[in-house]
Amino acid sequence: MKLDVAATKAAELLLEASAPAQPYDEMRDAEGGVRPHYAELAARIETLSSDELAERQKTLERFFLLQGITFTVYGAESSTERIIPTDLLPRIISADEWKTIEAGLIQRLKALNMFLADIYSSQQILMDGVVPRDLVLKATSYRREMQNLYVPHQAYANVCGSDLIRQPNGAFAVLEDNLRVPSGVSYMLANREASKRVFPGTFRGAGVRPIDRYPDLLLTTLKSMAADWRPNPQVVVLTPGVYNSAYFEHAYLARLMGAPLVEGRDLVVHDNMVYMRTTTGLRRIDVIYRRVDDDFIDPLTFRRDSGLGSAGLFNAYRAGNVVICNAPGTGVADDKAVYAYVPEIIRYYLGEDAILPNIETYLCREPAQLSHVLANLDKLVVKAVGASGGYGMLVGPHSTKAQRDEFASALKADPGNYIAQPTIQLSTGPCLIDHTIEARHVDLRPFILSGEKIVVTPGALTRVALRKGSLVVNSSQGGGSKDTWVLSDRKDLQP
Amino acid sequence: MMLARVADSLYWIGRYVERAEHLCRLSDIMLTATLDRTESATQIARIALAAVGDPEDAAKARNPYDAALALVLDREDPGSVANSLGRARENARQVRDQITTETWERLNLIHLRMNDPKAAQAFADGSQAFLHDTIADLHLFKGAADATMSHGEGWRFLLLGVYLERAQLIGALLEVCFGDRGRRAITDHSALTSLLRMSCALEPYLRVYTADMQPQYILEFLLLDEDFPRSVRFCTARIEEHLTSISRHVEASGITGPDRLAGRLRARLQYADFGEVQAGGSSAFLGAVLDECAAIHRQIYETFVAYSLEQRLPA
Repeated sequence: MKLDVAATKAAELLLEASAPAQPYDEMRDAEGGVRPHYAELAARIETLSSDELAERQKTLERFFLLQGITFTVYGAESSTERIIPTDLLPRIISADEWKTIEAGLIQRLKALNMFLADIYSSQQILMDGVVPRDLVLKATSYRREMQNLYVPHQAYANVCGSDLIRQPNGAFAVLEDNLRVPSGVSYMLANREASKRVFPGTFRGAGVRPIDRYPDLLLTTLKSMAADWRPNPQVVVLTPGVYNSAYFEHAYLARLMGAPLVEGRDLVVHDNMVYMRTTTGLRRIDVIYRRVDDDFIDPLTFRRDSGLGSAGLFNAYRAGNVVICNAPGTGVADDKAVYAYVPEIIRYYLGEDAILPNIETYLCREPAQLSHVLANLDKLVVKAVGASGGYGMLVGPHSTKAQRDEFASALKADPGNYIAQPTIQLSTGPCLIDHTIEARHVDLRPFILSGEKIVVTPGALTRVALRKGSLVVNSSQGGGSKDTWVLSDRKDLQP
Repeated sequence: MMLARVADSLYWIGRYVERAEHLCRLSDIMLTATLDRTESATQIARIALAAVGDPEDAAKARNPYDAALALVLDREDPGSVANSLGRARENARQVRDQITTETWERLNLIHLRMNDPKAAQAFADGSQAFLHDTIADLHLFKGAADATMSHGEGWRFLLLGVYLERAQLIGALLEVCFGDRGRRAITDHSALTSLLRMSCALEPYLRVYTADMQPQYILEFLLLDEDFPRSVRFCTARIEEHLTSISRHVEASGITGPDRLAGRLRARLQYADFGEVQAGGSSAFLGAVLDECAAIHRQIYETFVAYSLEQRLPA
């Protein structure tokens, strides 16, 4: 099971390029002193021998194995199951830092939802020339089928998992917005459950904010999307099936929400109503939390060869008889080229400056920026806008002259298809590696829900590059994850 | 109300788990019995192999260790314990949201041990201990399901699978031992004891009939006892009970559910007269019971899982 959505892979390769600046360390300041919010954990670790730490690591791994939080490794003779690498030591975020992150995430998702509502109706932002018209309308993730379709609360991206990184100066920045079908939230919850088992004392003392309301909040968000004349709406989770790498997560969320986990073959569309086949006959569905990509949800509207969705589903959605969450077509707002305009989008709709900055991005469609990119190909990372999964990209510092020449001509031929970014340094955090504690690079993926209102769960998935010096946090390439503690500043609740 | 696909999966978890347990027990008894060098040892091995549907292969019966190893761990054989448990677990994974974590953990643990690369070595080091532990773990699984799952529809589908499979397995075992296919009657004391052990019935039998081992008592006990959980009668009573409860909510009118078949089968066993069964030929009786079990299985599919949509669409 891979921890990541494919789209983040490109970003990870980008991070692999070496960066000159000294990375920010989550636990220690530049002089090597322990930062205040890490004091509790650092003190506890001091008292534990390396064997005791290893013992706790074992307890943690056993927890994951028992829960079946595994992915299958296919060998020559038989297949074995491995757990997702998980690190024992939590990543800690102070109450103040979290306030900024939370406000920034809410602001960003609010603006992106307004952007989606706009481009799928009157397209005012395109008329005003803030975002180039062809950039949006020609994007592969733009769905003209969504035009003028009513979406309750203008909440297009009901579940959003943004990738944040901490820059060498200590400020968080957004690397990517994931508005399609972001995954990883089950690891946030499972890591927390495991971490409560291995560090109960420290956990109690540190004052960590709870995250276990997430399934409840998700259900509330989904229900708020249902037509209000149907009391007690039936919510289901739609999964591609047991062979999907995120299947564990789909089942986990369905179980914790108490919603049926359905596959395309369980659904029947009749008279623009969606039903599921139950033991007692057909039962009507109101809200579908789909974990299937846009392309696959309805073979009549999108990809014809898809067997994962249900024929007629999109028409039922258009007719207002069912709600699909996230809405199809949200991908246009996390497009790599549109990303560069997000600060402008925020200013356009909200009249505010972005609280969380973007990573500097050069749009090759702009002649001035193109010439800068061409002059600095050996320092930059160049990405094709439409491509994902690490394809169609050039990592400047690791490239050969021939590769750069090839990209240079491609850039000149079709500049609109490319963007470029400087190489980025991730922050580091302490990890248990072979019985000793060493610093490894980490990123941060918080989860934001939007329905009737926008809520950020005070926690996140911290992905970690367990290989020394590596900046790749992808689980298929030696990456793992760890629990993320967001500390509370409520002194009155202290034990 | 639950998804038809989910009900189907739960039902098969029940069947596979029961099948795995039965195979483990037969293998265990076969291995234990053949430690003594007696004539009945080969007979017991043959009974065990015939009861799991293996054609009576004399060579296999003479090498019980290899036969047991194959029954338990053979990956090529779709009916082996390892494969049955693999499928049970695969089904459980597909309905992970429907079973409790406690229940899932038990099944997952058994599966992990069976699929451990060291499983063959563990079997070689102590096959009886290995089988004993597996059976004990399967009991824990059933216990966890009973103690932590809501006793609603899903749980009933699980148990429906367990009891239908059990009725068929015990029925098949009895047919091998007491059918009149011209086989030598079992009279040997150790063979009879082993037969009881194969259905986990030795101790309960002793409480009712004392140590008086008589083939007809054993047949009567395993077929018609009211309270013993592995008698065919007990199984059919549970099948009827669960089906009646599940069928209550089926909305479609004019459908004859499997509960009618189950009720008829239960009555056939509840009001059977053992003398009459013997007079009419136990083989015919067992054959009829097994046929009805198969019919119930088909009817469950037609009613709950693979029904035609035309009957169920809103008008």
